Amino acid sequence: MSMDTDRRTFLQMSAMAAATAAAAGPSDLRASAVDDELRARMGRGVRWNKAPCRFCGTGCHVQVGVEGDKVVAIAGDKLADVNKGLLCVKGYHVGLALYGEDRLTRPLLRKDGELVPISWDEAIDVIADRVELDPAGFAIYGSGQWTIPEGYAAQKFMKGGLSNNHIDPNARLCMASAVTGFIATYGVDEPAGCYQDLDECDVLIMWGNNPAEMHPVLFSRVIDRRSRGEEVTLIDIGTRRTRTTAHCQHYLEFEPNSDLAIANGVAHLLLKNGTWDRDFVEKHCAFRKDSEPRQLVGDAMTFEEYRAALEPYTPELVEQLSGVPAKDIRMLADLFGNPDLRITSLWCMGMNQHTEGTAINTLVHGLHLLSGHFGRPGDAPTSLTGQPSACGTAREVGTLAHALPGGRVVANDKHRAQSEEYWNVPPGRVNASPGYHTVKMWKKWSTPKDEGGDVHTIWVQVTNPGQTMPNRSKLIEPGVADPDKFLIVSDVYPTATTEVADLVLPSAMWVEKNGLFGNSERRTQQWFKMVNPPGEARDDCWQTIAVARRLFDRGLPGMRDKEGRFLFHVEDEAGREVPVWQWSRYYDVNVDKALFEEYRKFTRLKHKDLAPYDEYVKARGLRWPVAEVEPGVWRETKFRFAGFDDPYVPEGEDFDFYHSTTGDGRAQIWFRKHADPPEVPDAEYPLWLCTGRVLEHWHSGTMTRRVPQLRRAMPQAYVELSRADATRLGIDNGEVVRLVTRRGSLELPVWIDGRGAPPQGSVFVPFFDERLLINFLTLDAHDPFSKQPDFKKCAVRVEKLPRGEAGVGDER
Amino acid sequence: MSVDHGPRDEGSVPPAAQIGFALILGLAVFGFFVAMNTESELRGEDTPLVIERTERGAASVEPVPTYGTLAAVGRPGGSDWNADAARLARAGGEGERFATKEAALADRARNRAYAGAPPTIPHDVRQRSAAECLACHEGGLRIRDRVASALPHAELASCTQCHVVQEQPMPGPALPPDATFATNAFVGLQEPREGDRAWPVAPPTTPHPTGMRGECMSCHGPDGREPLRTPHPDRQSCQQCHPPSAALDQAAGAER
Repeated sequence: MSMDTDRRTFLQMSAMAAATAAAAGPSDLRASAVDDELRARMGRGVRWNKAPCRFCGTGCHVQVGVEGDKVVAIAGDKLADVNKGLLCVKGYHVGLALYGEDRLTRPLLRKDGELVPISWDEAIDVIADRVELDPAGFAIYGSGQWTIPEGYAAQKFMKGGLSNNHIDPNARLCMASAVTGFIATYGVDEPAGCYQDLDECDVLIMWGNNPAEMHPVLFSRVIDRRSRGEEVTLIDIGTRRTRTTAHCQHYLEFEPNSDLAIANGVAHLLLKNGTWDRDFVEKHCAFRKDSEPRQLVGDAMTFEEYRAALEPYTPELVEQLSGVPAKDIRMLADLFGNPDLRITSLWCMGMNQHTEGTAINTLVHGLHLLSGHFGRPGDAPTSLTGQPSACGTAREVGTLAHALPGGRVVANDKHRAQSEEYWNVPPGRVNASPGYHTVKMWKKWSTPKDEGGDVHTIWVQVTNPGQTMPNRSKLIEPGVADPDKFLIVSDVYPTATTEVADLVLPSAMWVEKNGLFGNSERRTQQWFKMVNPPGEARDDCWQTIAVARRLFDRGLPGMRDKEGRFLFHVEDEAGREVPVWQWSRYYDVNVDKALFEEYRKFTRLKHKDLAPYDEYVKARGLRWPVAEVEPGVWRETKFRFAGFDDPYVPEGEDFDFYHSTTGDGRAQIWFRKHADPPEVPDAEYPLWLCTGRVLEHWHSGTMTRRVPQLRRAMPQAYVELSRADATRLGIDNGEVVRLVTRRGSLELPVWIDGRGAPPQGSVFVPFFDERLLINFLTLDAHDPFSKQPDFKKCAVRVEKLPRGEAGVGDER
Repeated sequence: MSVDHGPRDEGSVPPAAQIGFALILGLAVFGFFVAMNTESELRGEDTPLVIERTERGAASVEPVPTYGTLAAVGRPGGSDWNADAARLARAGGEGERFATKEAALADRARNRAYAGAPPTIPHDVRQRSAAECLACHEGGLRIRDRVASALPHAELASCTQCHVVQEQPMPGPALPPDATFATNAFVGLQEPREGDRAWPVAPPTTPHPTGMRGECMSCHGPDGREPLRTPHPDRQSCQQCHPPSAALDQAAGAER
């Protein structure tokens, strides 16, 4: 019997090994952590490959297990520096996001109110017709989930092809204020530090941030240090108790919008106590205040003016403005005033989705600069991103209405000329006036043509504005009802946006295509296609190129470069053009690589140098600037502007802010006044409404709600209400109530002491549930610099429903 | 060599006599695994183990009452309520027992999306604290036939980062389930069956990754699902004889 068992096991293994070998075609020349023989034995033919996770901006690497043409397993990638083998529950289930049974598999055109299947050829013609109708009124609304080549192709098509700057990403709703905060402070976007700061900080301050749910791998990277016997102080400065709060030593609860006062209060004490870092500030910083009218770079101010401006912000006044006890403001100031500690600040939507988002971003940078808690490992002001390539694509490729790749802007003559040169298009091709930012783009689309609504068509790629735009009744519904307006949506599932679209295109997702992402710590990550997309679903990048080619064939001059070649001219190794606009030929060459190598030329100007594509194939991501230290040897940079690590800091200097807005190597310490938000609770709408996310669902939930494990763990939206308010209003846990704002109303069940616990006077609703669209209620007021709307604060009334009227989900 | 096979379902083990011989001959490990293979031996099939990953229904999730509502709803478990974990440990029962290894693996797979996925939690949890988890899971706990498995990765402190409730009991009325979301065609990797053996009586290698599974006794100890329990619980150094796979563990030096 034993020999039988053994022989049969052996035969089984051999057969599996053979099957694996047969399944592994020429496109399988990829990195793998598991050798063939063991694969066959342990996973029966499972092939493993690396890919960054599809969800948040942390940028964990996963190992994707593929059997046949399907993803069958996910493992944390142990070789990945970001996550070191660990994932969160979304990451472990990311493979399931591909297999919801209602994947879009055919192009659909709305005819007589119904979406009916059409051919790809027809679909491409429809888009080309809409462009030709008036190229200047055609807009693209993209995303921080665009891969780098996808965003680059859309950017080049619009700005380098159509001479049209109406392209903006959903990242505008997400981290635009972080960008303006970085630019106003350092003159250049993106964090100077990296995740190593989380390993080395003594104090972690989270400003309106709940990383235990939104960036779980980064959060556990900090709290797991405690399991190893290390001490780290966690401080939550927030407006609601969350899972993060549960792990913190200090919880500083503040009145919404008063974070500016808190930051000013700490700066006030640093000056008063003489604990600011005089040496660092004198050598590397300057002071800045708002100009009149307000401009992003502001006006210079002297140290004495700065001190005088902060004078009123005593701990007692700050307590009065923010509700944070004066002793806690002193505690923060004592921490910042201690040069022996390493302090890292984290923030995400709390500071960014803020009508004074740029201001609070600059103030937190300012605290780190003023106290010298900057640039040493563990000393860092770090903003986190919510999408996998908000940094890599939206910010670096610059798919924003005012930007060009590599930190350039359309308004700058030199920047346009450089872009035209790299794109090999005639001088003057790039339009000098900025296009419409997100809110304006949708407003123009939702305004009739004869009333100045000059956007006639929006092509949405990789995002779901029907669910995520604020004040939807104002920004989306009128356009949907207007027969002159046309909405094109490329997506993988039916969404709140495809529901109102005129043309729906089925897209490939994640490992169904090649891709590159850039995470929150400047790390650029690459992966290869591992499985085929379902049905007729195709890559977003191909869709853009196919439309460009159709316009080229119809003779639209913008689709040609200086030599008359197609804008997306791609050659094989023998130098022959490959017709990549034909889907059957798209993977004959690596289009990602071709686009990335072209894009790479743009990255030098702002010292965000990217390495050649093939370096990323070998690595689990590399953090820019990636410098070629000797021929063929590429070195990433962990700490930017710091002499010990950044190759662009001159020899012998400890710091150099080499993109300083003042041109003298200095970073700016800003003073910003505390100001009231545009809408505050009053007698009619007495409570604050905050919206946000939960651990299980990623943004609008279109992927995670199709994963059974995640959907069952968090089946529907709800409203968090404090026990005090519930008692006052006579409302029970689970009771359905009506939320009413000046813009809309929605009925939701109450969850008291649930996932989060807001204080008295404030409620919280997650936005993941497309059946319970809270964005009919939110405010479209936005930051003056970043144009990012404030989803975190508006005034709401909670109404108890008469018996028998309760019905979850009644909206508007 | 002292070997304890532990309790076993006699009905499905015709070669019980063989095990006796094996014991006498000191071939206990070999015998154990022969016995493990009995069912498929008898079927004479090569078909891989296919597990239907049906989740337990909502009915199995018991909501945790708050102190405020305890008087009204009563304690779960009725009058037998006992909150002293130390007194409950190992109280009665024989833990989770299955007729075959396949059945034990199928049960294990029930709350995992694929082999290697973090299991979902078959009971309600506090929403904002992970500390409660350790009360039962730190060292493991068995109460009659219910088992709280021992935490196999003590260094990881954020439990709910990876483990979510199998079916969250939300307060209040639920929305009608959305039919389009109910179906997902994902077919997960099956649980591995047995390790590799260099020759018939060699101890098998570990057939699964050991990342976050450093505590072998969490599954293979006396509170694990029988018959997945070790036949020699007195031996403490598992990896001395059952080496993990460098490739499965993505160890340094493994091809990547």
